[in-house]
Amino acid sequence: MSCAILSFMANHSLTLDDVFAALADPTRRAVVGVLGRGPASVGELAQSASMTLPSFMKHVHTLERCGLIHTAKSGRVRTCTLNRKRLGVVDGWLAEQRAVWEGRTDRLEQFVTNPQEPS
Amino acid sequence: MTFDLDPDLDLRIDRVIRAPRSRVWQAWTDPLDLARWWLPAPTHCRVDQLEVVPGGAFVTSMSDDGVAFGPHLDACFLVVDTGARIVFTNALDSRWRPAKPDPVAMTAEITFGEHPEGTDYRVVVRHADAGSRRHHEELGFADGWGTVTAQLAAVAEAQEETR
Repeated sequence: MSCAILSFMANHSLTLDDVFAALADPTRRAVVGVLGRGPASVGELAQSASMTLPSFMKHVHTLERCGLIHTAKSGRVRTCTLNRKRLGVVDGWLAEQRAVWEGRTDRLEQFVTNPQEPS
Repeated sequence: MTFDLDPDLDLRIDRVIRAPRSRVWQAWTDPLDLARWWLPAPTHCRVDQLEVVPGGAFVTSMSDDGVAFGPHLDACFLVVDTGARIVFTNALDSRWRPAKPDPVAMTAEITFGEHPEGTDYRVVVRHADAGSRRHHEELGFADGWGTVTAQLAAVAEAQEETR
């Protein structure tokens, strides 16, 4: 296993944590839901979230930092686009398989370190 | 042999388990031991075949009530380095017939390394991409979103278990 891959794997799991943290907030989940239908401006998104622009921008930055959305400014309008590939980090069969194997590893560890207790 | 991992298809878990390698190996290769941890409670696990040799059968069944069992895994071992490594796949079933398992075909490599505190335990699972393609073609975004929330809950619960 090369160092490049190890460092990639470390970064990958950091990304996963960031994505989960970003999605833990209902406002940000709503934004992801709206952008699932197509790109939208920050103004439109703030309006549908019933928020002032400055407080809404914090959510936009959080989503952008973890890579769930991209933003691009054209004139006075900043447009947000969903990065579906990043969303795929948590949505789908691979996340499910990881949960299965993490669970197996937890139970194996419990079994061999504490075999007397019923598992 | 070692192979690079594809982040879109593969997963890797590293864990130091505070038990001797021989104990962890036994938990994997003794059918009664394996049945104790292979499936999450309250599901019952029955180990039907566990021939821990290259080409050997690896078949497990599951049950909600402990009476009526249904299929869980039908796989075969590819590599067995006693005490050190197990590789198995469900892309070939226990009779070596090429299979299309649900949700996706995989090859799992389990490595039992020495560690000062016990066992340097590693799982690498490489998946076929058929499941990925099917998933993205069949699920619209709305359906995919339901899956996300279900899995957020699953991951949160899995994290809770480790505490």
